[in-house]
Amino acid sequence: MTELSKLYKQTILEHNRHPRNYGKPQECTHQAEGLNAICGDQVNVYLTIENDIIAAINYDGESCAISMASASMMTEFIKGRSVPDALQKFDLFCKLMNKNGDVDHIESLEKINTLVTVKKFPSRIKSATLCWHAMAAAIQGVPNATTE
Amino acid sequence: MLREHFPGLNQRVHGKPLVYFDNAATAQRPQAVIDAINDYYINHNANVHRGVHFLSESATDLYENARLSLAKLLNAPSPKNLIFVRGCTEAINLVAQTFVRSKIKAGDEILISHLEHHSNIVPWQILREQTGAVLKVIPMNEQGELNLESIDELITEKTAFMSVVHVSNALGTINPVKTLIAKAKEAGIPVMLDGAQAVPHLKVDVQDLDCDFYTVSGHKMYGPTGSGILYGKAEHLEEMPPYQGGGEMISKVTFDHTVYNAVPAKFEAGTPNIAGGIGLGAAAEFMMTIGMDKIAQRDSELRVYTELALKQVPGLKLIGTAAEKSPVFSFVIEGIHAHDVGTIIDHYGVAIRTGHHCTMPIFQYYGLAGSCRASLAFYNTEQEVDVLVDSLIKARKMFE
Repeated sequence: MTELSKLYKQTILEHNRHPRNYGKPQECTHQAEGLNAICGDQVNVYLTIENDIIAAINYDGESCAISMASASMMTEFIKGRSVPDALQKFDLFCKLMNKNGDVDHIESLEKINTLVTVKKFPSRIKSATLCWHAMAAAIQGVPNATTE
Repeated sequence: MLREHFPGLNQRVHGKPLVYFDNAATAQRPQAVIDAINDYYINHNANVHRGVHFLSESATDLYENARLSLAKLLNAPSPKNLIFVRGCTEAINLVAQTFVRSKIKAGDEILISHLEHHSNIVPWQILREQTGAVLKVIPMNEQGELNLESIDELITEKTAFMSVVHVSNALGTINPVKTLIAKAKEAGIPVMLDGAQAVPHLKVDVQDLDCDFYTVSGHKMYGPTGSGILYGKAEHLEEMPPYQGGGEMISKVTFDHTVYNAVPAKFEAGTPNIAGGIGLGAAAEFMMTIGMDKIAQRDSELRVYTELALKQVPGLKLIGTAAEKSPVFSFVIEGIHAHDVGTIIDHYGVAIRTGHHCTMPIFQYYGLAGSCRASLAFYNTEQEVDVLVDSLIKARKMFE
């Protein structure tokens, strides 16, 4: 099995079939839309922040499987973390997914590290990082995010 | 074998032989084009139209011979009808900002179609901002064909210009341009055809079409990127104001006044893309050597074969099923996003385009974010179509 089909079979499709924290919640305190104009990926991220803790995080949108799986994984990973911690994890994820970087594993990102395989398909890195940019934008009170 | 002329086809990607089905985005180049560019840079490198020295003369000859080759390919009355441009985008912007802008006033109407590439929509929206003109759109139907019944209502006494795509880049629809031109002529409306996707596939005769302007994209007809042609009727080119000011487009300059150069130099300010123009001439010669009849025949064989072959892929739906089509196949596969399809089949060596193909209104019509698009050229083979079908079936299995 190629690395690509391993990535799809073991991680991406599992999250597409069983998305975590999918759907717009009744209420939230922060939200942002991530839009990748060139490929048409669109992800909304909704946060409820209480006392600097991300009490709830949800997503929806219309995107490819990589983008949807990355959002599902991100919400699972970020829920319950403090705002500074979430922003630090965003920085680490950007570092992990930097196509010119030589980082291929960051311990504290745990299961998120499986997405590093996407780096082998440079045109798709933005699909994986879009939801993270949207999350960071939502925290910062910016309504829109792109990966450009 | 036609393929042997194209060195770019003979390579492997991800360890698999390349299947290049992204010809509507850009075609591969024949060795003759690559050689012509090299020959200019090595043996004739000089600026055109200005030096008295030997190399400048020979560079000018090559460049002007290229214009002649393109005039032959398009059956233009004279090479002077042809302006070298960067591509169809520049050609359309040029006509919008010179010919049309100089004639149009607030409330006048520009007629385009629902099948246009963004490059035949946005220049008119810019003109609309500048002049208060109105943009009207010939509608399309589910098959991806233009609805011509509405044309009589759309053409009014205010219609000032019609600009329509000859062959759709997203769906492959070959538009009934002769009918459209006849309708426009009845009302005395000048017509431009966007020929980006037509010239690589069809015999285009600008005199027979009787269009006022015709645009050609070099890199889609096996020529270099950044090269292209705007054909215009002589009376229009004479009368139109220039597009950009600079060197080459003048015959006399003082601080008080400038006398413009004769057509086509009037529209070719600055040192042009000389190598690109020469390469484009070589592409035109290459196509004429193969013969447009032979290219059209191969296209038709591939189109019929591919249409049938794609039926083997479960859940595949073709978008755009016009009766008259070039070998371009837009499709979606149930349950798989186009980008995922593109990434997975790339792994089997198959290059297709995914997304909205710079035609967002077409996909708004279908309620889709985009599609997968396999666009074939005469050098593709039935075996390659089988590889595409096989890789799509594998992608589908992966998502089961």
